[in-house]
Parts: sequence; structure tokens; C-alpha cells
Amino acid sequence: MISMGCDLGMVSAKAVILDDGDILAAEVLPYRSNPKEAMIEVIDRAIERAGISSERIDRCLATGFGARAVPGSAGDVSGEECLIRAIRYINPEVRTVIDVGSHTLHAFTMDSNGKLWNSAITDDCSAGMGRFIELMSRALEVPIDELNRDSLISARPVPLTNLCVVLAESDVISHINEGYDRIDLFAGVLMAVASRIAGVARRAGLSGEVAMVGGVAKNAVVVRELERKLEMKLAWLGEIDPQVIAALGAALLAGEKKG
Amino acid sequence: MIVAGCDVGALTAKAVIMRDGEILRGEIIPVRPDAVRSATEVMDRLLTLLGLSFDDLAYCVSTGYGRRIIPFADTNISEISCHGRGAWWLVPSIRTIIDAGGQDCKAIRVGERGELKDFRMNMTCAAGTGKSLEVMAEALGVDVSELGPLALQASNPVLLKNQCCILTEITIRRMILEGRNTADIAAGICNHTARYILALLQDMGAKNDIGFTGGIAKNSGVTGSLENALGTKLVEFPVDPQLIGAIGAALFAADMGKA
Repeated sequence: MISMGCDLGMVSAKAVILDDGDILAAEVLPYRSNPKEAMIEVIDRAIERAGISSERIDRCLATGFGARAVPGSAGDVSGEECLIRAIRYINPEVRTVIDVGSHTLHAFTMDSNGKLWNSAITDDCSAGMGRFIELMSRALEVPIDELNRDSLISARPVPLTNLCVVLAESDVISHINEGYDRIDLFAGVLMAVASRIAGVARRAGLSGEVAMVGGVAKNAVVVRELERKLEMKLAWLGEIDPQVIAALGAALLAGEKKG
Repeated sequence: MIVAGCDVGALTAKAVIMRDGEILRGEIIPVRPDAVRSATEVMDRLLTLLGLSFDDLAYCVSTGYGRRIIPFADTNISEISCHGRGAWWLVPSIRTIIDAGGQDCKAIRVGERGELKDFRMNMTCAAGTGKSLEVMAEALGVDVSELGPLALQASNPVLLKNQCCILTEITIRRMILEGRNTADIAAGICNHTARYILALLQDMGAKNDIGFTGGIAKNSGVTGSLENALGTKLVEFPVDPQLIGAIGAALFAADMGKA
């Protein structure tokens, strides 16, 4: 059975195609303005990568903020459900999942059967989320990839005093004017992000292996600082892109006729 | 006696020169990379326009976010005092001033002589500031200046519950996907900003008349929403409200030049 999972997020569209649980394609497409268009495009790309025709997809499930706008979906599933399913598929030892996307900061724990145990979420402030990092890099006027790479070796990260995205931006701008190094400023931003994430993760309770998923899990500095703060290594998720985990879960659930 | 006030903010630098209690002229420029350069440039420009030189100034007071490092200022006074004084001088019936700009949102109460009585400002969250408004407008895909005219056409304004503008992006973008009316969302955005400004006013206690200054004061959507909520008209200023802080500084300069 060929199944597809789609995750239409706030800044990127993701699609995963499975053939009886084997990954045929996993695609991510960042977008700026039109989520529906991006979703259609990324589905096309995934179909091409999988080397199948679109008619062969037996079932599709969608998740993410724009789940309802995913064409051809049999229904939508919660992000949590998708992540639990995917993580159990990738690494069954994992009991704690930290999910940090552009607009999400969420951590939860589950029992050995994959039943949700505890959950901690931030829904009143976006400090610590991917959008925070993106807006800070915009304020620094340096491409984000360059900042991420160079801040790995920053020796003097500048601590952030304010964690509101917007207010932190003005702090950062005034620090630039005071002559601080942009890389040290960005390293400070990433450390603040890691602290926020660690706080949420601790609120969920850390049990078993701990995995981090979502776009921010690709940020090496955040991961390193988070590991330092939590005093543990994050679980290895293989070669899979941490950004497609929810889409993978949706595809698995679609293949199992769930959702 | 010729005196000057110089107000260096996060986005613009303003200068006003007064002679014997009358405004000769004001000038506004976008900020340069550092506060000293911004202040020097705006002051030089204003002096040249008036055919004056630094030596003609009996006293100069700096205010605003860069006020402490302006080399040519004889002293500096907080923007809150300057703002209150300037607004009261322009409209003596004023008792409450809202100043909402790019990154901050303040409520100021003055007494019968324009003296500072109380104030509140946003410390940890950008809700109610120009940047927050901008982020939400961008999520809707319109310019902030279009929010007012759009809001006028709204028949059923949406309620944007989340205080954080970044998280509100999700709500707005989901509403767009669901096909909600743009005008209704625009009105919801204006109400969101007005709501957090109002919260500061209520916390401080507002007395009529109320004046509104700063970048957001130019946004008819937010002012309209605020007037609705307050049940009273906001005061209109006879000069560009962006100059009020510098006017207040110049008034303090006149006091100090006399002493």
C-alpha cells in the first residue's frame, strides 16, 4: 500500500510517501506567501522522487496549521499523534519528544505503548521558536546559514535580556550600534532559544531517550546548547530530516488506515 | 533665547529649535547606525535650514533612547517627561498621552502644569507596538497603512485572542486559508493593538483629554478602534506628533537656559 503524509506548516510544506512503511520520498519546501501552492508543489516533487504516478497513492493524511488546505487528504491528524507514530517507527526507545518549529514549542512524554503521558506547550509567547531565530537573523542582516555556521565557534555569546521577539530585536540592534560582533549576538540568541526549549522540556518531564524534531532541531548550536543544559545527548534519529517527522507520522497513520 | 531639543529614537531622530517660547522649526531623519551620528546629523540639518550654528544655542536637551551619549547636549531628560511636557504644551487640556511607536508602547499621565504624574510601558511583550502591528499586517499580506481603510469595511471583525503577534500569525494565516474576509481580519488586527494599548491605559488610569502619539497614532484603524473602546475622541495635535518628544526637550532646555 502506498500512503502519503503531508504537513503544511507556517513556513514550509512537507510531504512523505511510503510503500508499506518504506520511505520512498520525503520532501521539504520552504515558502513565503502561498501555503496551498507550496503544498501542491511539494507533493509533486515527492511523487517525482518516489517515481510513481499520483494515482498510485492509496491514502493521504494531513497535519500542520494548514492541514485542511491539503488537496487529496482523507482527513487531518494532530501533530502530536503524527510525531508519536513517527518516533516509535524511528526509535522506539524515545519517550520524550521536543518539537520546535517556526511557530511551535512543545514537548511531551509518552509511555512504552506510545500513549501520551505529559505535555508542555508555550502558546502565549513565541520566544524560543524558529520564527524568533529567523527574525533575529533578519535584524542582524546576515544570511541565516552563515550566522548558524559561524556562531558555532563564537567564544563570547552576548546574553539576551529580553525574550520577546520584537523587543529582543531592538536590543540586538542597539548592541550592533554599540559595536558587538554580530556572530556573538546571534550565538546569544541561540543560547536564549536553547534555554527556553530546555525549560519547556523540563516542564514536560524528561524520561527515557529524548528526541528533538522540527526545523529548529537542524540548528547545531541550539542542539549543542540544549544538550549541555539538559546534561544529556539527544536521541539519534538516523538520516531522516527532523523537519519531516510529522509528515512521516501522517504517512504511517495513513498507511495503517488510521486518522 | 534660542534652545534645542533632540530626540533620538530607535527608528528616527528628531530635533526642534525654539526661540522665546516659539517653535522655529523641527526636523526628522531616519536613524543612522549610531545615536551620535543620528543626533549630529539631524541637528546640523536643522541649524543649516535656520541659518544658525551650534554657538547660537543657549541650551540643548537630549531625550529618547540614545539620549545619554549625545555629545552636544547640555543635559538629558527621559523621553517620558519630555513627551508629557511637549504634548501638554501643545494641548493644555491633555492629561493622558499614549505613545506607541515601533518597539514600545507607553501611557503617560500629566498634571495641570504638564508635570509627569504616572506612566506605564510594555516591558516584556511587544503587543500594542508598531512592530507587532506590522507583523500581523504582513501575515495578512497588506501594508500597515492599508489596515485602517480596510477595517472601515469590516462587518464582523475577527477576535485575535493570542497576545503574541508571532503566534497570531498562525491564526491570521489560518483565517486566510479558511477564506475569511480580509477587512474583518484587518479590523481584528487593529482591535488587537488597541486592546493592549488600552490595557496599559487602564492599568495606569486614564484621564481626559487623551492624546495619541508615535507611529501608530497615524494608523486610522488603531485610533478608530481605540476611540470606540474609550468612548471618546482622541486629541489632535497642531504639529507632527513625532516631534513632541523633541519639543518637550526644547521646553526643558528653555527652563534650564534661564536658570
